[in-house]
Amino acid sequence: MEDLLDISALIQLRVDGQFHELDVLPSRTLLDVLRDDLGKKGTHLGCKTGHCGACTVMIDGKVAKSCITMAATLSRAEITTIEGLADDDGSMHPIQQAFWDEAGLQCGYCAPGIVLSSLELIQDNHNPSTKDMEVALAGNLCRCTGYQSIKRSVTEACVRMYPEKK
Amino acid sequence: MSLHPMYARPRNLEQASELLASLSSGAVIIAGGQEIMPYINYGVMMPDVYVDIGGIDALRGVSAETDEVSIGPLTVHRDIQNVEEIVERLPLLAYAAKQIGGGMQVHNRGTIGGNIVAMHPLYDVAPALLALEAEVELLSEKGSQRMSLSELQDLSNHGLGTSSILTKILVKPMSPTTLWGYYKLKNSAGAYGSANAAVVIQLDGENIKSIRVAIGAATEKVVVVSGNLDSYLGGPYSSEVGLAIQKTCSDAIGEPLSDQQGDGVWRKAMAGVAARRATEMALGKLNNSSSKG
Repeated sequence: MEDLLDISALIQLRVDGQFHELDVLPSRTLLDVLRDDLGKKGTHLGCKTGHCGACTVMIDGKVAKSCITMAATLSRAEITTIEGLADDDGSMHPIQQAFWDEAGLQCGYCAPGIVLSSLELIQDNHNPSTKDMEVALAGNLCRCTGYQSIKRSVTEACVRMYPEKK
Repeated sequence: MSLHPMYARPRNLEQASELLASLSSGAVIIAGGQEIMPYINYGVMMPDVYVDIGGIDALRGVSAETDEVSIGPLTVHRDIQNVEEIVERLPLLAYAAKQIGGGMQVHNRGTIGGNIVAMHPLYDVAPALLALEAEVELLSEKGSQRMSLSELQDLSNHGLGTSSILTKILVKPMSPTTLWGYYKLKNSAGAYGSANAAVVIQLDGENIKSIRVAIGAATEKVVVVSGNLDSYLGGPYSSEVGLAIQKTCSDAIGEPLSDQQGDGVWRKAMAGVAARRATEMALGKLNNSSSKG
């Protein structure tokens, strides 16, 4: 049985469209791998307890807190970080543009997580209610905006991304 | 305790079980990681070996037979909330899973198995499952064993550890006439509950035929109140009966928890309040609640 034990785990991640094969030590988090190994500094470290949501990324299309996700457990996964949203030419994704235009961020520390959580919501639900937004963003803390402008940004993003729904 | 832990990803239950049996203390089972990673990050836990059971297919999936819903322990909270078999047959469990904190990110990765084996008094799944008289199947060196969740709770202190693997959660489907409620009393939106009550009620016409309450977050273990409520059977519900149920449930709390969620005297009182409000929700009489959903 001991042959099952290893000092590290080989994982395959496609991060923002780019394939990586990585040999990771157990107990390293996905956040560590993204920031330290792959240089994806857009994903932020906040609390390391899963409370604040600053480290939010998408794993196989679903939001997750990368600081409480052990990298070794992701043997094959598709990861989307905030850096995967903008076009190659640098033009912002419509949801990023909506947050910019509606002042959905102030200091910006929580913004990568808030944007990704909002994106998962509106991809599933093109016309979310305020309550839907509150549920979707319950795992993301923002200490600046007071959430009003965040909700406005989400609504605006829906209008731009799914105009037929309004 | 190790600064250089090992990692294993068994492919099936037999491998996992043999591996766990061969390891001395210091191993930890991981799947979604939502329970243990905060402890790892802060050095509170420093396991020697991580046994990752996330690749074991036998621990996945939900299947519904006529007399039993079988839930794989790797089922994430998001699926507990949305999978048709659970929403239709175990609406109380689906509703309680929505009350879990941490946001969608945690609901997408946290598993029902991890939630149960942690045996954390503040969590939301156990009260719902205990109100529904759920059973569990465990696999250890000695083979497979089935017991009620209530027995498992009595046997375990601070979690299941690595002596066995939780392989199934088994619940009898709720009948369409079963009334249910879940009330989580909390200080703020993202807070743990100060008292979490799950209630299952059967009516015979206007009269209460049976009532079972499970209260979490009030004591070290979830308290099930059923026999003590027998004196309310056979009659209709009224606000006086509600207050009496509140008192009976509060009295059932022996040594209340005293922590950030509130001090002991208050928790004991609120356990009863949460039980009454869950009962009112079940009977459609809770005023300040949004509709079930």
